[in-house]
Amino acid sequence: MSRVLATYNIKGGVGKTSAAVNLAYLAARGGASTLLWDLDQQGASTYLFRVRPKVRGGVRKLVRRKSDVERLIKGTDYERLDLLPADFSYRHMDLALDAAKHSTDRLARVLEPLRGEYDNTFLDCPPSISLVSENVFEAADALLVPIIPATLSSRTFEQLEELVRGGPQVLAFFSMVEVRKSLHREVMARLRAAHVTMLGAAIPSADEVERMGVERAVVAEIAPGSRGALAYEALWWDVRRRLAAAQRSIPS
Amino acid sequence: MTPTGTDLLLPDETTPGEVIDELRARLSLREGETSERDRRFYDTCDGLVRAAGLTFVHESSRAALVALDGGQEQASMAAPEPPERVTAAELEPGALREALKAIVGVRALLPVARVHSTRHAFGVLDPGEKTVVRLALEEPVAVASPNRRIALAPRIRVTAVRGYDKELARVHATLVADLGLTVAGRSELDEAILASGGTPGGVSAKVDVALAKDERSDVAVASILKRLAEVMEANLPGTIADTDPEFLHDYRVAVRRSRAVMRELKRVFPPEQLARFRVELRWLQQLTGPARDLDVYVLDFDELRSGLEEPARSDLEPLLRVLRDRRAVAHREMVWALRSERAAELSAQWPAFLRGLVTLPVEDRPDAVRPIGELAGERIAKVYRRMVKMGSAIDDSSPAESLHELRKQGKELRYLLELFGLALHPGDVVKPLVRSLKALQDTLGRHQDREVQTATLRSFSDDVATLPGGPAALMAMGILIEHLGEDERAARAEFAERFAAFAAPDQRRLVRKTFGA
Repeated sequence: MSRVLATYNIKGGVGKTSAAVNLAYLAARGGASTLLWDLDQQGASTYLFRVRPKVRGGVRKLVRRKSDVERLIKGTDYERLDLLPADFSYRHMDLALDAAKHSTDRLARVLEPLRGEYDNTFLDCPPSISLVSENVFEAADALLVPIIPATLSSRTFEQLEELVRGGPQVLAFFSMVEVRKSLHREVMARLRAAHVTMLGAAIPSADEVERMGVERAVVAEIAPGSRGALAYEALWWDVRRRLAAAQRSIPS
Repeated sequence: MTPTGTDLLLPDETTPGEVIDELRARLSLREGETSERDRRFYDTCDGLVRAAGLTFVHESSRAALVALDGGQEQASMAAPEPPERVTAAELEPGALREALKAIVGVRALLPVARVHSTRHAFGVLDPGEKTVVRLALEEPVAVASPNRRIALAPRIRVTAVRGYDKELARVHATLVADLGLTVAGRSELDEAILASGGTPGGVSAKVDVALAKDERSDVAVASILKRLAEVMEANLPGTIADTDPEFLHDYRVAVRRSRAVMRELKRVFPPEQLARFRVELRWLQQLTGPARDLDVYVLDFDELRSGLEEPARSDLEPLLRVLRDRRAVAHREMVWALRSERAAELSAQWPAFLRGLVTLPVEDRPDAVRPIGELAGERIAKVYRRMVKMGSAIDDSSPAESLHELRKQGKELRYLLELFGLALHPGDVVKPLVRSLKALQDTLGRHQDREVQTATLRSFSDDVATLPGGPAALMAMGILIEHLGEDERAARAEFAERFAAFAAPDQRRLVRKTFGA
């Protein structure tokens, strides 16, 4: 079993990195060898894991498979969880991809030699619609899409489904939820009714989630048993359940 | 890349607490968890799991196949209670069963050690407070039995964090050069197995006896037969306890090889004793035969059955019941004989005779003092020539019996080559010869096995008929017998080609040149 999961949204600041980092941590804690590739030039997950944001040879060599990707990987503070760090040159990733042959499956090819080694690979993606996201759709088995319950979120969701039609499975979940806001509650109810692919688990807007950036650790470590920690556990359980169900429905 | 660990031992008279204090003074450490572990390790008697670089471990309601070096898990399953014995066939279908089957086949895993340990985990941090090396202080206790607990030397396991090789080297140097720790020569598991009275790596049925060409023949023969007697002895308890079918198989191979040596090199033994032990070993061979035949039948049942279409396939179920019943009876009778006084006397007297063989007078055993290289070569050449002659006389009209006789000679030659040929003669001659011989023997074996299986199936028909579903099972057996007959004919048709390769002029020349006239 080897699967690629990408946390993705066209918009920024919706909780992609928090989801990638916490879910990757839970996967590794559960016994699976796990890799997180921080594709975002800002390097938020790289920062959280206290790894230097440096990829020797930069993005150009990496996407042309001129670098030995196995040597670029760094272990994190957590057992079984490794990181392929971000690099400042990732800001030119689109250009690098465009210049290479087979420009839409370069990232999948970079991951190819690692497939036997990792049970789960998480891609923490930059917010955009670009050649990078096309590559992500090609490489990923499923997209994990955090959605803030706001007026336009239904539209975001539909746009996304349109964009990846025929590509990876889309598993959307609510993020940065404030249950006290009636608007959040209403939007969540409406979207869940309209889209069966919406996951049940939702990540609250909670202090322990925000503190990740200060403490540079996963939520389960900052505040074990907290609302945020439990929400990520529920989300990971939900994701695995959906993936397993999708697996079963594929005719053999 | 799996992060591999190195185990370091503490200097004499240093307590784990002192080492940790020293470490704190020299390195920036983050305290991790302290955990208690109770692990039970399993392996086959011949250490197949360890030889594959893995271990089978039961810990907190889970059983798993784990890499020996880094602890990376290959496959696992829930197992609320530690099992007494594990076989791939009896596991739930899944990754663990498949992985285990690929490594041990039909062999059973038995407990080899139980280790109770306390583990304190630490992370070594860099100036950015990032973990760059993992350390764990293990304080293991081998639990040989509920009343016998043996404290093993505490050890510090150093595990690399990927991408931080320089830091690893630095921490390793601090531990070894500054704190005086030493790299452990044996793994914790091997220490625990030794402390519990076992042998790390298990006991093999291989006969790796070094021989010299100019050695006295009786010395060489005695050392090979002594090793075979050890193999018999080692496999006896598992045969009697019916742990797995390989014990009986290895036991019988050792008996058969011993008999071949006695037959082929008879003039190194005093005739009277030789005659007596030949009778005794033949008795062992015969008394273990029916149980082994039925083992093979039960093991092959699925394959036999897979040659049938539904519903004949399910109709065959009553046959399996008869096979299992008969097997149980045959096994009981065999155990009774193996536990008899006659068997006990033999297992004491046979090795004693071998130990004293070289001191006996040589007048009535003219080959005793000849160099083994010469004598074994002569025998190999002779049996080979005999086979070429016998095989060349076989044509389509020859009776099945002539192929059986050739197969018997083939076994003899194979044992001579494996026991003496490989040790005394160039591998580039012996190995290809063994290969072409094996191919020939496979064909001859299939031919004979199918004939025997057909006869055996027929002999079961009365028992099967009386069971519920008996008539349908008999019909299915009819189809099976037909298939067996077809395969027997196919093997017979293959014979000419296989024999031609074995007896090719080049090969004959090479045998003549290597093993003498």
